[in-house]
This record gives sequence, structure tokens and C-alpha cells, in this order.
Amino acid sequence: MNFELSEEQVALQESVTRLLARHYGFEQRRRIAASDEGWAPAVWSQLAELGVTGLLVPAANGGFGGSLCDMLPVLQAFGGALALEPLLSSAVLAATALKLADPGAQRDELLSGIAAGTGRAAWCHDEADGRHAPLWVETRATRDGADWKLDGIKCTVLHGAQAQALLVTARIAGGAPDAPEGLGLFLVEADSPGVGIDGHRLMDDSPAAEVRLEGAAALPLCLDGEQALRIVESTLAAGMAAACADSVGAMDSAYRLALDYMRTRKQFGRFIGENQALRHRAAEMLVSLEMCRSMVVAATVAADDFGSESSRAELQRAKIMLGRHGRTVCHSGVQIHGGIGMTEEYAVGHCLRRVVVMDQLFGDADAHAARRAAAFVTGG
Amino acid sequence: MDLSLTPGQQAFRDEVRRFIAQRLPDDIRTRLRLGHPPTKEDTVRWQRILNERGWAAPHWPRAYGGCDMGQMERLILMDELYRAPAPIPQVFNVGMLGPVLMKFGTEQQRTHFLPRLVNLDLWFCQGFSEPGSGSDLASLRTAARREGDHYVVNGQKIWTTTAHLADWVFALVRTDNGARKQNGISFLLIDLRTPGITIRPITSIDGQHHLNEVFFDEVKVPAENLVGEEGRGWDCAKFLLTNERTGIANVGLCRERLDYARELAARTTQGGRSLLQDGKLAAEMAVIDAEIRALEITNWRFLLSPDTAQRTPGFASVLKLKGVELQQEIAQLLQRIAGPAALRRRDHRGEEAAHWAGPPGMRYFYSRAASIYGGTSEVQKDILSKTIVETLP
Repeated sequence: MNFELSEEQVALQESVTRLLARHYGFEQRRRIAASDEGWAPAVWSQLAELGVTGLLVPAANGGFGGSLCDMLPVLQAFGGALALEPLLSSAVLAATALKLADPGAQRDELLSGIAAGTGRAAWCHDEADGRHAPLWVETRATRDGADWKLDGIKCTVLHGAQAQALLVTARIAGGAPDAPEGLGLFLVEADSPGVGIDGHRLMDDSPAAEVRLEGAAALPLCLDGEQALRIVESTLAAGMAAACADSVGAMDSAYRLALDYMRTRKQFGRFIGENQALRHRAAEMLVSLEMCRSMVVAATVAADDFGSESSRAELQRAKIMLGRHGRTVCHSGVQIHGGIGMTEEYAVGHCLRRVVVMDQLFGDADAHAARRAAAFVTGG
Repeated sequence: MDLSLTPGQQAFRDEVRRFIAQRLPDDIRTRLRLGHPPTKEDTVRWQRILNERGWAAPHWPRAYGGCDMGQMERLILMDELYRAPAPIPQVFNVGMLGPVLMKFGTEQQRTHFLPRLVNLDLWFCQGFSEPGSGSDLASLRTAARREGDHYVVNGQKIWTTTAHLADWVFALVRTDNGARKQNGISFLLIDLRTPGITIRPITSIDGQHHLNEVFFDEVKVPAENLVGEEGRGWDCAKFLLTNERTGIANVGLCRERLDYARELAARTTQGGRSLLQDGKLAAEMAVIDAEIRALEITNWRFLLSPDTAQRTPGFASVLKLKGVELQQEIAQLLQRIAGPAALRRRDHRGEEAAHWAGPPGMRYFYSRAASIYGGTSEVQKDILSKTIVETLP
């Protein structure tokens, strides 16, 4: 058992924290969010220089061949700063999916682009009708000679309008929309005909998109159903762990903001931090935060070792904890601030937005509790 | 980062499991699995079996009957005891008084009491709370005046768990009404057979007798039964209340009870269908299961990791708050699962004690005590908030 970061992890954590402190103060973040891109390419290239974008990319493709555990401090710092760069979409989701895809020139090129920070790929998997059903894919892949074409609509594609490459899950073999069999993974160039990208922002300002595919030309990255399932599940596992880590960073920020406010805000002639009701709220925030910190470690370890029933359970537990406590901690953060906590000009409310988005990605707390419940019935 | 046990720890856990499987009497296991608290006889019988193996007070030095066990191994042992389920070593003897005697006691007190504490030849109870001194313990008024080689004790203790089963009590008494209220307190060991002691039962809301009032009327206590210096008993009390780091979270207990709740829900039917099929109930269990895992890892971090957990003074309160919350939620869940079957009052002894719906009905009510004893949850939040609001950056 070991909870300590390695020297390299600590060094990276410090560099990233410094970088974010310099470029991601809350006012700077507001400007970044309001920009056309919705994120800061300059910050992204500095992150690439630090090696963050290539952390999960295999060494053979110009990355560091690292694990999610290596990335954990970065993900937490990102959530803490409410940063908007495509870390989750490109450096975690796309990198994880591509790593497990069939070897090939296209895949290698994408991976090295991600590592270098010059290329961005978006993970296109979720569909509206699936809601939180993890394998719900109605998008169809059809073969026409040597060519593949995709038809379907993907939603909540993170940084979908900013990516050159779209990694799309689709059904090759027909079957039920949530069947684990018959999936494939495809690469679609974002600017190819038959691709419609409706870029928008999520509640936390994150850039996202709806992607419409109408006979879009696609290059297969994996046609083997079993392997495709493994890619989807592993990518979702990495996403779950990363979302939890991001969330705990945002919770930590809300907690710190609330404590600062309690120490400086005066009402009725004294600091509001002298009031027991608020002090107890702060203590409850800490309890929740510590439980979530622990569960994030478990989720990250589980995602790195994904495959067993126990790793699946661990990730689900983490999503349950972060979803529930993320909200309560940030609710308290807003409540302790009173009116100012309600304004868009102040950071604490953005922490709440962030944890809500992270809860809804990759299955929310309710969905995972229901899955765990089903496992109880079958004895899992 | 790594959350797995070392090969050595795994081997130790297997060894503990084997030992429990071979030595834990079936009647005790059955009683505890149903949800009854161990009887005194259960605890004595099992602790003596553990003691043969050096596991009754594993964290104590070998010289006093322990085996110098490290915190992780001890946590593994405790978890396995809870999961069996087996009685855990008597906490007043092993978790509280023993360590106090080792730190503050005389050589004579140690040689006399420690072997008796570990083998449960003597059953100690804790005489701290008084009618006027609950959370504000230092305001206690039970008085001890020195007369020659004796103290003469007058006053009253209350909420004294197991006093009716105990041989001795370790008590906080006031030996000096001087300046600061913490300064005039002394720590005394009192034989409950001494003339002038009256023990009256208090029936708690589960209908059972766990708690007592203990009255002291001109009770003569030999001066050699003073632990530490006269007037410095508060140091002993503080040490006693804060030194226990391993067992506060009670993760194993939570897990065993949740596991039993699942088992009970699976075989309890409503309108011909198993309760476990009720998605809402099972989802509640899934949430509690996640909370237990988070608490378990937090407990490990607290013991092992150099991060916030260890750096934050009062962090033990985090573990107690969450542990208590979960114990209470699970007790409530069990009562809800038993449902109407748990309404009927049943004797906790004799034939009725074997009925499955008795303990879930009773234990739920007593579980409400968990957020009151050992420092109420509100006191824990006071302790925590003092650290986080006033001292940490």
C-alpha cells in the first residue's frame, strides 16, 4: 500500500500548478472561456512542453507511456483551476482509445500529434437516447467495398469542434442498441463531407459538440467486436477516473474559497467563521472531500488496472461518491458565500458547475448506484 | 500509488482468517451475525482464545502480553474480527486503560493490572461522564479527598456502559477545586466491590440494559490506585481519548453489517418478491458500500500517508464522523429491511433471541448512541472546524 507520489509525479504537479497559477487565475479563466475557442491554445502548448499531453501516449509514439496515476495530480490541478483545455478529451480519452486500437500509420500519427500537443482527437461515443447506458450505440457503420461509411448522431463530444480527428464508435453487426457485441471504432476526419459539427458550451464553459454523421467516410481503427468493447470500456474507465479526479480538484477549490471567506467576511460585527452552523458545514465539507480524495485514488488505480470485476466496482463507487459529495460540498461552498456565491463573476459557483458536468459524464451517481445494485442481486 | 496489501500483510490476513475459522465458537458467531452485541461471557471466552495467540492486545509490547503489532496489521486483525463476526477485545481494558497505564502508571500498577486486563480477569468500565458533565467533561464534580493513604470518593457517574458487569472502574475525580477546571482532576482505579458504591441500571431506548448510574458515597480508594500524578488526570484522559487511531473508523463492522443487510434483504420477501429486487433499496446499499470503501481508504491514508490526513490535527474526527454516520445508516437499513417483523418486542435472551427480526429492531435504536458517546458528532465538528477555520492556511 502506498499513497505517495513519485518524484516525477511531484515535479510535474509543481510545474502544472505553477503554470495554472500564472495563466489560470479566475479572471484569466473568464477571458479564456469567453474567447472564440473557449480554451487557451497557448496554455495547451505549454502543457505539451511539460509532457502533460503525451503522458498516456506510448513512448514509441513520442509520449511518456505513463499511467493515469501519473496524470492524477495534473487532473486534480486542472479541476482546481477549472481549466478548459482538451486534457480529458484528447490526452485522456482519445489517447486511451488509440493506444488500444489496431496498429497503423493513421493511429500512430494521431498519437504522436496528441503527444506533441499539435493534434487533437475527440472521443465520439455518447448518444442522446442512451442517456447513461454506457454501451448505447445506434450509429451504424456500413461497408461499401473497401470503404466504410457512418450514420448517426453523437452528443456531448468534448472539444468536438476543436478536434481534427473524430474517434467514433459505431455498430457494425446490427443488434440491440446496447448490445456489447458488434461494436467497432472508426476514425473520421472532422472536415470530411457528411460530418456536421454543432459546437456549443457545457454548463461549466467546457467546449463540446454534437456530431452528425450522414454517410461520412470512416477509416476503421478496430473492427474486432471483442477488442472494440475493450476499447470502449477502457476508455470510459479512464474517463470515469479522470472525471472524478477533476471533480475533487473543483471540490477542493470550493472548500478553500469557503474557508477564506469565513475568515474574512464580517457580519453582525464578527467573522462569519465564528458561527458554529458555518463551522460545522466546513467540517462536513472536509469529511466529504477526504472521502472523495480517497475514492479518486482508488478509481485511478482501478482504471490503470482495468478489466477485473473489482476494478469496475471501484470505478462505480468513485462515481457514486464524487457525484453525490461533489454536489453537497459545492452547495455548501455557495451557501457559505451567500449572495456572492450565486454570481457568475465569482469562482465558487463555477466549482458547482464543474462537478455537475463531471457527474453527468460517463454515468452519473444514480446510474452507477443502479449498476452496483444490479450486481448485488446477481451476487457480484 | 498502490492500494493492495503487501504479500506479508496478505499472509497475515490469511493467518487471521484461518485462526478465526478454527477457533471462533459457533454460538458466538451466530449470535453476532444475528446482530446481538456479544455477551460478557462471549467477550471473555473469545478474548482469552485471542490472548493465547498474543492477539488480545496486539499493539501492546510483548512484555505486557501483546505482540508489538504495527498499525496496519492491527487494522487487518480488527477488520477480520468484525467480518467474522467475532467480539473485538474489550475496549476499556485493551484500548483505553492499558495504554494509559503503560504511559502514566507505576511499575506496580503495570505488573498487577496489565496481564489481568489483557486476559479479561478483570473487567473495567469507564467512569467519566456525570449528570452535569457530558460533552464538557472537565466540569466534572465527583470529588476525591485525600485522607492518609486513601482517597475518599463522593459523587455520581452516569452512562457507565457495562458497570453492572464490571469488576473495576477507571474514573476521573476532582481532587482540587483550584484555578483551571482541567487542573484539579485525577485518574483513579476503583474496585467496584468497595463499600459505598451503588450501581443503578438505566434502560436505553432499545429496551436493554447497557448503561448505568454509579454512585459513590464515602468510598475509600487506596492512594496507590492513583494513576499518574494527583491533579494530572486530565493528561491521562486526553491521551486515552486521542491515542486510539486504528479502531475509530470501524470499517470492518460496517462492511459485515452491510453484507448481512444484503443477505437479509435477499431472503426477505414482500408480496412474494425478494427485497433485494427492489432497485431503490439495493441502490441505497450501493451508496453505503461506496462510502465504506472511501472510509477504508481514508483510514489507510490516515495511518500511512504523509498527505493532509496525517498533517491535519483532529483528523481522527473525520474518521469518527463518517464511521458513525455509516454505522447508523446501516443499522437503520437493517431495521427497515426487517420491517413489520421487527416491531414485536422480543427477549434478547433465551429462545426469542434466535429470531432474525429481533436484533435489527433493537440495535437500530441503540445505534443512535454512536453519535453521542466518545465525543458527540457536534463536538467532533467543533474540533475539526477549529483546525480548519482557525489554524490551517
